[in-house]
Amino acid sequence: MNPASPDAIFVLLVEDSPADVFLVSHAMEQEGLDFTLELADDGDAAIAIIDRVDTEASHPAPDLLLLDINVPRRTGNDVLERVRRSPRCMGIPVVMISSSDSPVDRQRAFDLGATEYFRKPSTLDEFLKLGHVVRRVAMARVHERHPHQQPTSTPERV
Amino acid sequence: MQPMAGIRRSSTHSDPKTRVSRRSPSLRARLEEAEATIRAIEEGVVDAVVVNGANGPQVYTLEGADHPYRVLVEQMPEGTITLDSNGLILYSNRQFAALVGTAEDSITGSDFGRFMAPRDANLFAGLADTAALRGQSAGELDLRGIRGGLIPVRLSLTQIDLSGMKTLCIVATDLREQRRSEAILKDEQLSRLILEQAGEAIVVIDTEGRVMRCSESARKLARAPILSNQLDAAFAFGGPDGPVNAERILSAMRLGQPMRGVEATIRNAAAGTSAVLLSASPLFDPFNALLGCVITLTDITDRKASEEALARQTEELSHANSDLRQFAHSASHDLREPLRQLAVFSELLQQKYHNKLDPEAVQLIAYTVDAAHRMEGLLKGLLDYTQATGSAAAPVERSDPNEVMRKTMATFGTRIAESGARIECELLPLLDVHEIHLTQLFQNLIGNALKYRGEDPPVIHVAGRRRDDMWQISVTDNGIGVPPHYREQIFHLFKRLHGGGKYSGSGIGLAICQKIVQRYGGRIWVESAGKQGARFVFTLPGASL
Repeated sequence: MNPASPDAIFVLLVEDSPADVFLVSHAMEQEGLDFTLELADDGDAAIAIIDRVDTEASHPAPDLLLLDINVPRRTGNDVLERVRRSPRCMGIPVVMISSSDSPVDRQRAFDLGATEYFRKPSTLDEFLKLGHVVRRVAMARVHERHPHQQPTSTPERV
Repeated sequence: MQPMAGIRRSSTHSDPKTRVSRRSPSLRARLEEAEATIRAIEEGVVDAVVVNGANGPQVYTLEGADHPYRVLVEQMPEGTITLDSNGLILYSNRQFAALVGTAEDSITGSDFGRFMAPRDANLFAGLADTAALRGQSAGELDLRGIRGGLIPVRLSLTQIDLSGMKTLCIVATDLREQRRSEAILKDEQLSRLILEQAGEAIVVIDTEGRVMRCSESARKLARAPILSNQLDAAFAFGGPDGPVNAERILSAMRLGQPMRGVEATIRNAAAGTSAVLLSASPLFDPFNALLGCVITLTDITDRKASEEALARQTEELSHANSDLRQFAHSASHDLREPLRQLAVFSELLQQKYHNKLDPEAVQLIAYTVDAAHRMEGLLKGLLDYTQATGSAAAPVERSDPNEVMRKTMATFGTRIAESGARIECELLPLLDVHEIHLTQLFQNLIGNALKYRGEDPPVIHVAGRRRDDMWQISVTDNGIGVPPHYREQIFHLFKRLHGGGKYSGSGIGLAICQKIVQRYGGRIWVESAGKQGARFVFTLPGASL
């Protein structure tokens, strides 16, 4: 579904609910983004990936992190802290995803260095807006990587 | 025997009447003379009588008989007076004058009524009537002294007929001393009863620390026989700063420092250790010398135990409450997750397979989505509710309801514009309420006023009035109102008056409002006149005027 093209956005998604993994992918597809997805279904797995990125130069660094706050083992916030200390990943955009709309949770995420905070909504239309958010933050990142290119978008509607 | 002459001491009395037959003038003259003489003797107007006998004229002095009686009357301890038939005092001895507190000569000739206690006037009249009828009577009543004080006396009345003039001789016995003794006796009885029945232990000690008197309950509290014993032998008081013994109590009394509710413990064989409140007040003689003191002991063992139990329970309850809030919080959080997915995936199903589903399937999915959304609303409401009832630990801040109203109106901006609503808000006072709570209150009440509208565009009026020590805020609308029999129910959790069709809602909003208001010691209620609209009123603490 997502052929690894050199210009595809490399997204690390930390999410334990398969249903939400499906929805996040769906939202990005609907937005027409070209992306590669690596999935970690708990905090430990996510941190292990960052560790590998830091230790193995051959392992590609993600362009973008989609991070559910409420994942098993280490929380999304723990992962965010680790990312901001990673030599290779410290600058990547991180979109926190959470079902909580508590201002406290939101503030905590921004204090730890989150780029965006996306509350999981309960209507499909609202959820699909996540795709737009990803495009916005990824565009800025891809600009940094290839200053003269636009991120590829494949018009692909269901 | 022919009386020669009566020697008159005074001539105030009239001539005697003729009572002998007119047929015998000389006999009648002699009889009249004899009668006059006897009457004169009786009335005391004659001091001596001369009688012509066989041995010539002989003088009989009446003074010999009169004088001793006068002396007796003057010396007797009782007060004595004689009254004429009009109640005028003809004679008073010194004791009677002393009894009523004045001099003898100011009494003679005055009306006896002035010495009667008004409430006993009838009683005295009764005694006088009895004396008139039977010659004598007696009774106890109060006289009134010259200075107004009441004097209890026993009166003995004797009516004497002095040549047709009815005279009342009264002997008054002073009962004051007797009454005092009776009162003292009653006092003694009273204090004995008090000591027998008092729930508190009462102990009277002398300056040597010996127990002079004690109550029944003190006897039970003591570890040894108590009466005539040393206080320290009967009780061992432990205080917060060392033992409380007789010496310590008495020295406090000498310093003029009464002891009030000092917490102490007592150990005795029967009851183990008891907790008491000890108070002591000094006893002085009339010359201000310390006689001892009165010690009262209130057993607070049970009270202390229940206080501790209550504190324990309160803590447990507070834990349970906090656990429950935590539970409600996470339950409503965690339950929302699967619901959200249920709603979104139902929609996705509907969208993706729109062309492959028949219209009924589409409708069924729509019902599923709607149900999931409603349940989500309920859970969100529950979450708000647990926040409204949340811990009161945070110190109360002062909030500006005018600012909160502005924000609320901004929140409802679209709905206000769409419905053409007019919202009037008077200047409101600062309130001692967390702003988040004030926001919840206004959002719920204004939201309801917009939602439960009638045919006309909503008109909502918000006002604040001082009421006792609280502020009373009212939100009045012109909507569909609340039927009288639902005015209590609408504040209950999940209570709704309308089906989901016309007016949607979770039935939590007003329950939240009530919780918030109650949390600050206020009240919320609704006033409504059928379909004339509703007026929601709540009270909250705030800045004084």
